[in-house]
Amino acid sequence: MLLDLTSEKLVRLQIEAKDWKDAIRQAAEPLLREKKIKAGYIDEIIRGVEEIGPYIVLTKHVALPHARPEAGALESAIGIATLKTPVVFGNKDNDPVKYMFCLSARDSESHIQALGELTELLGREDFYKLLDRARTAQEVIQYIKNM
Amino acid sequence: MEFKGLVACRAGVGSSLMLKIKVNQVINDNKLPIKIEHGALDMVVGFNGQLIITLTDVAEELAAKHLPQTVIGIKNIMDKTEILTRLNEFLAAQK
Repeated sequence: MLLDLTSEKLVRLQIEAKDWKDAIRQAAEPLLREKKIKAGYIDEIIRGVEEIGPYIVLTKHVALPHARPEAGALESAIGIATLKTPVVFGNKDNDPVKYMFCLSARDSESHIQALGELTELLGREDFYKLLDRARTAQEVIQYIKNM
Repeated sequence: MEFKGLVACRAGVGSSLMLKIKVNQVINDNKLPIKIEHGALDMVVGFNGQLIITLTDVAEELAAKHLPQTVIGIKNIMDKTEILTRLNEFLAAQK
């Protein structure tokens, strides 16, 4: 379940980021602090975007920063972050990014159900509205509990 | 005839999984004759199906490799209309 992989500790609201790299670093920071990833995992996410392009931007205003499990994923987890001012990632169809879900995956299968639930959330207008107006991590987690 | 498609992204654990969920919804809703697998980009070489589905940036990278498969690049994974249109284009070209 999504709630097995995320928690209030992994939520960051209204980040002020100076560019896309800074946004990724700040969105990933709670995962680092909670020992879900190694520091090198964040560098690997950024390197992936530099090499291939902003393929982690999946839909309008949404990015899923992640790298391969062997890049330093310690435990499967999903962070939830919003940006105070949206940031351009260079994805002409979906820029600017305002919502970021930083993914740590230990393997390619165990988080499938959680990503399914996240996909469902990304199809809901009121989820984005909640993220826009939420003041506390608790409000975001409570929304997911009620989904 | 049923076709085999591979949904792939760089890591094989994030974008490709979410894209696979949406692609399978579209295939089931419309009863399209395509069966989907997913994985990382290193699965692309040696894949014995007819179709590779990925995100636009990755599709551009794959285009340079002149793979035998049709490569589809999806811009917005939540846009079922886009996914259906591209899958139907693929199926039409197989006739």
